Amino acid sequence: MSENTLAQAPVHLRQGSSIGQPLTRRDGVLKVTGGAVYAADNHPPGLLHAVLAVSTIARGRVAALDLAAARAHPGVVEVMTPGHKPALAQDPDEKAGPFAFRLDLLQDDRVRYANQSIAVVIAETIEAATEGAALLAPRYEVEPARMDLHDAESFFPAVVGAGTPAAEHHGDVDAGMAAAAVRVEATYDTSAQYHNAMEPHAIVAVWDGDKLRLDTPSQGMAMAQARIAGLFGIPPENIHIRSPFLGGGFGSKGMISGPQVLGIMAAKLVGRPVKLVLRREQMYGPVGHRAPTRQTLRLGADAGGALTAIGHHTKTASSSFDDFFEPASGASHSLYASPAIATSHEGVRLDTGTPLFMRAPGEATGSIALESAIDEMADACGMDPLTFRLKNYAEVEPISGKPFSSKALRQCYEQGAARFGWASRPLAPRMMRDAAGMLVGWGMGTATFPALMFQAKARATLRRDGTGLMEIGAHDMGQGAWTALAQIAADGLGLDIDQVEFRSGTSDLPDGGIAGGSAHTATAGMAVHGAGADVIARLAELATGDERSPLFGAGNAGVVARGGRLSRRDDEARGESYADILDRAGLAGIEGSGGSAANPVAQSAYAMHAHGAVFAEVKVDPDLGQIRVTRLVGAFAAGTIINPRMVRSQYYGGMIWGLSFALLEKAVTDRRSGRIMNADLGEYHVPVNADVPSVEAILVEERDAHVNALGIKGVGEIGITGTAGAIANAVWHATGRRVRQFPITLDRLID
Amino acid sequence: MYDFAYHKPTSIADAVKILAADPDAKPVSGGHTLLPALKHRLNQPSALVDLSGIAELRGIKREGDTIIIGAMTRHGEVATSDIIKSAIPALAHMASTIGDTQVRNRGTMGGSLANNDPAADYPAAAMALGAKFQTDRRTLAAEDFFQGMFTTALEPDELLIAIHFPVPKKAGYAKLKNPASRYSMCGVFVADGAAGIRVAVNGAGPGVFRQEAAEAALSANWSPEAVAGVKQDPDGLNSDIHGSAEYRAHLVTVMTKRAVLDAG
Repeated sequence: MSENTLAQAPVHLRQGSSIGQPLTRRDGVLKVTGGAVYAADNHPPGLLHAVLAVSTIARGRVAALDLAAARAHPGVVEVMTPGHKPALAQDPDEKAGPFAFRLDLLQDDRVRYANQSIAVVIAETIEAATEGAALLAPRYEVEPARMDLHDAESFFPAVVGAGTPAAEHHGDVDAGMAAAAVRVEATYDTSAQYHNAMEPHAIVAVWDGDKLRLDTPSQGMAMAQARIAGLFGIPPENIHIRSPFLGGGFGSKGMISGPQVLGIMAAKLVGRPVKLVLRREQMYGPVGHRAPTRQTLRLGADAGGALTAIGHHTKTASSSFDDFFEPASGASHSLYASPAIATSHEGVRLDTGTPLFMRAPGEATGSIALESAIDEMADACGMDPLTFRLKNYAEVEPISGKPFSSKALRQCYEQGAARFGWASRPLAPRMMRDAAGMLVGWGMGTATFPALMFQAKARATLRRDGTGLMEIGAHDMGQGAWTALAQIAADGLGLDIDQVEFRSGTSDLPDGGIAGGSAHTATAGMAVHGAGADVIARLAELATGDERSPLFGAGNAGVVARGGRLSRRDDEARGESYADILDRAGLAGIEGSGGSAANPVAQSAYAMHAHGAVFAEVKVDPDLGQIRVTRLVGAFAAGTIINPRMVRSQYYGGMIWGLSFALLEKAVTDRRSGRIMNADLGEYHVPVNADVPSVEAILVEERDAHVNALGIKGVGEIGITGTAGAIANAVWHATGRRVRQFPITLDRLID
Repeated sequence: MYDFAYHKPTSIADAVKILAADPDAKPVSGGHTLLPALKHRLNQPSALVDLSGIAELRGIKREGDTIIIGAMTRHGEVATSDIIKSAIPALAHMASTIGDTQVRNRGTMGGSLANNDPAADYPAAAMALGAKFQTDRRTLAAEDFFQGMFTTALEPDELLIAIHFPVPKKAGYAKLKNPASRYSMCGVFVADGAAGIRVAVNGAGPGVFRQEAAEAALSANWSPEAVAGVKQDPDGLNSDIHGSAEYRAHLVTVMTKRAVLDAG
């Protein structure tokens, strides 16, 4: 079996269709046996190792590097610097497109953030390259670093996130606040966070003339090809990327990063294959992060607990040299009905790397503030938080007035609350203790995430031996694309999954689109589905036009494909196998193709979102302030579920990320130097198994006729939203303390 | 790691001779602090003098009302020693909470005390119990031995041989571990023994210190309630991403109560 082909399925129960089956991960055996080849596992002959030298200051210039010492070190082959590097066809600071973020490719001696690449040492061994980089001993002209969100001069960006307007409104929030019987105005702070995928960014680059072969993890191979092609002045099709497996991406591998491009430049400089792998601490700067925010929520409600106004303002930071603003206020657009909603953003510039898309960018950050504020308002109204949310249930999307393409949030509330036992929750805080004397609290949050679609293509082949082949350059970041897309392929081809060869993960296959925005299964899946339908239609045309076929004259519409056979829809006994049709036609195989994109008509008519409800139980030690999340129950409705096992796993991962957001993750900056002080997994805390004793995800039935033909919404990021707020609200319910700085730390919970 | 010479003497005299002859040589016991420092090139000794071959540095014995523990005795041995468990169960309990199994099977009592990491466990027990430190040339009281963060009275070529713990009437220990590193965020060892009633705190400050207000309170009334009102001044305590000085001050009171409860 080729490394990028997964043809064998584990034993599973068949119920007529692959979609909906809880198949185990088809790449699981490869992963647990070490057979899955990740980028840095590749060792082409003649390989050299590149190590970055990175800045230890956040702003200034590199005044000197001891190049002689580095070059003299045994094993060092080259030292790439601003003065000694291959020429690029494009300025890395040029904005070639909205997703062409500015890169640091040794274009000059400027330092714009800590951990920026200032030189690359290429050597025969990783050890020699590492030592060479240390020997460079850079000296700097240091300028004071601007690191404080609240000290820097602020401005109003035109757009935030991926290009959405920075300010939106409907109705009059000031009037709504004035008319309110109950008001909540509160400010919430969230911390800078770094993606910290388990697999660091890595690249193995091999030049052959003006052709380039890359092993590198990517959430968007076609986009990477285009960016690299522009930088090196070669056609995109000359670039062959292999990215069969990612050890997590979370948005940080969406666009090719500066260090990855430096690996390609290093290979060009030395004329040999080069491997470059970021060290953990080097991931805190050049590969994106989630910027800190300060969010101000203004909520008004009438005497009956109906919202009269939602105001959501976010102050956040981008880098000094590029624009990405965490679109946190957008969280208030779609969740709660209100006659008046206004959202806005304000930006500052800090001497950090450019923030980028990170797991529910905006949605996660905005959700923790909004869900906290909603909980504060429910308390101010003397209402149960679930009752309050139902009272303000949005029947249409509040900001746009559009109907929802589907919305089973009520069922999520009901099923989640029932499973959790929410009905017995005391209204007042600090009312529950366990046998060990721990304070117990219950909180909830609403989860939501837009149902997005990008563009993708796929190619399908039916072969004379009765098997099928589906090809798409899709991306498996660990979410299960190898499995879920193969299930869609099997149904699209009318074959059992073990009769389908599924090829994916390389850039020479049809463009599978971006694995981001929780849209990959919908986007790549619809392309696969379309390619399957196309090749079946071509096969049916062959059969129905051939008078020797039992299907002669049945017409395309009158034929069904199942189990490797075409049959008349009106009489399934009359049919024949794919193999027989191709055999008689003397064809080795037949090919079809498909594409996918969002449907603009449906998009303009409907608001499209997945929804969910998350319930959390925390226990707080009254002596120590230690917080334990003892139970998490999430109920989510996200349209058609392709593989319930994978989807549940995505929800778990999202909910655990939400826990991490609420209680653990925070990058701490040394304001004097501008460096991150906890740039390692020892002190940048993420949850471990012991932090998550019990997590449950309920899959709520939902059919959506508008998002796409298969009714698929995204499941990757929604679990984060809702969860972080639910935990914060449970901490309040346990202790009576409302902490508005995230992560919530134990020192804030003691008297 | 930089290059260094390696010695493995079999007697205290030989070890001291090597250390005296070379001021840049360093002794190594379990290596849990020194080896990471070497790997990070934070330290460049000319030679390492491995103490693990010196039999006379190991072992646990009781002489009258004193427990004598060889400096090279490992935490795991302290935790499981029947002699210590019957004479000073709080000390065995303390040893059982250090690090993880691997750490306890390599790290030594002498190494930990001579390093005097503010977050190390043993200094609090030594201070509260009034331990005596026997070196190759003299005997030091705990108050004289500990001299602040990572500093002791030991000369560069002076070896800690054994620690003498007077058996107390009762003693208890409680700490809040950093959940990742398991170092003490704040630990309190209380003892009613030969040195009187003592309360010693680790983890919270730049080095082990005695909480005199708690000692006075316990002298008047040995009970958890007696120390519940003791307020530790946060001034000068450690403050980091794991907890502020104020939080650690709060922990001093909580852990003192729990240590008294542990002592019974």
